[in-house]
Amino acid sequence: MAKEVELDCLGEACPVPLIKTEKALEELEVGDTLIVLIDHSCAMKNVPEWARKQGHEVELEEVDDGEWECFIEKMK
Amino acid sequence: MTEGTVRASSRASSRSGRSRRKKKNQIPIAIVIFLVIAGIGVWLGLKQDTLLLYWLIGLAFGFTLQRSRFCFTASMRDPYLTKSTSITRAVLIAFAITSIAFTAIKYGYFINGLAIPGQGYVVPISIATAIGACMFGIGMVIAGGCASGTLMRIGEGFWMQVISLFFFIVGSLWGAHDFGWWKRTFMLKAPKVFLPDHLGWLGGLAANLLIIAVLYVIAHKWEKKNSDELSH
Amino acid sequence: MKAFFDKIKNNDFYKMWFKDALPYVTGAVLLSVFQVVTFATTGNPWGVSGVFANWGAWLFELVGGSVDKWFYFSSPGAQATLNAGFLNHPGTWRNLGIIAGALFAAMMASGFKIKKIKSYKQVVAAALGGLLMGYGARIAFGCNIGALFSGIASLSLSGWVFAAFMFVGAIIGSKLLVKYFM
Repeated sequence: MAKEVELDCLGEACPVPLIKTEKALEELEVGDTLIVLIDHSCAMKNVPEWARKQGHEVELEEVDDGEWECFIEKMK
Repeated sequence: MTEGTVRASSRASSRSGRSRRKKKNQIPIAIVIFLVIAGIGVWLGLKQDTLLLYWLIGLAFGFTLQRSRFCFTASMRDPYLTKSTSITRAVLIAFAITSIAFTAIKYGYFINGLAIPGQGYVVPISIATAIGACMFGIGMVIAGGCASGTLMRIGEGFWMQVISLFFFIVGSLWGAHDFGWWKRTFMLKAPKVFLPDHLGWLGGLAANLLIIAVLYVIAHKWEKKNSDELSH
Repeated sequence: MKAFFDKIKNNDFYKMWFKDALPYVTGAVLLSVFQVVTFATTGNPWGVSGVFANWGAWLFELVGGSVDKWFYFSSPGAQATLNAGFLNHPGTWRNLGIIAGALFAAMMASGFKIKKIKSYKQVVAAALGGLLMGYGARIAFGCNIGALFSGIASLSLSGWVFAAFMFVGAIIGSKLLVKYFM
């Protein structure tokens, strides 16, 4: 059963959101989705970019002024 | 609502109230800020043209840095930490473009028998350079931003960078205080190396571009080795 | 009125120029253009950290100190700059402009948000990092802009030396970050 896990990275300094995302994704299984909460402008660019390069399905949604949710579906 | 690179997800609507929070439109505030910026510009212009020029240049840099999420810290940190070199390669491109343009400008003055501008930035190379650069590298990664990045992030609303700036100022004063010692101890015989002095104008520029090209290839291969696809 | 501003949000040029993040390479090209503008109009390349030393001196003077006997501030040019004051210092306005430009950019994209301090670790990291950057930049004659970007563009070997050691420092900093500040 594919699960959804939320990772709160609000208020974190560069590059913490990306490092935490990498570690969290390692713990998930293929088919699971990681939802990363971001409010850092660098992270809303480098987290999706990294995840796509690793071959995962990525969607980024702006949920508030300066706040984004990045949905990463683990593909491998 | 869909915007550019950000796609709406049907999953989002089933999530917590966060997704359904009403987003303010900050454009009106931006317009007020623009008017204040313009007002300051007018005031500076009335004081002295130079001040207005520097204000405009700063605005241009700040706007560009924020819009492109450009980060020199990331260019040096990411190859190690996340194996990504996209910003590294962008920085190298900036080095290449400016090398060519700066050399052209300098050559223009030289060939007309005038003093070459900007030579104050050709500085002595000594142990102090190495230690200082290393300290700076450590500091920028820990603080989450370099000099330009810190200023940019203050504009974005990060309290952490306000603290970083305060200590950056303190550190600068401390460094200025100790500078005399560093100069006496390490810099008196330290060489200033302006590449064209040793390799000629064309040779100097070519050497710079060659180093940049080699680093670019290394960066490209490094990322390719560590990921599926490459984003340019 | 609200409808008008909402209309702007959906406009293609708004999205292209103000909303969507620009590619890194676009940023690189634009920064290069402005670097060249700086050099051509002011006679010197872009610099950021030198200004902070002056800010420090002025703050120090505010609390009763004096830097006039320091070698670093001893040159006629340095003294003139200090005497002219904060409001008349061009470099100061360039640095303030960076803050203002970034603020405007963020607000225009409706992406401005105040990010408060999340933990004690962040305060220590910011303080320690700031001190290292400030001190390091003075003895190395500049920061990522003045010593690195401008140095390399100026065909000075010092730029490359700075780059190499800055890279080493970045690796050390990354290890420290992961170990102590995450």
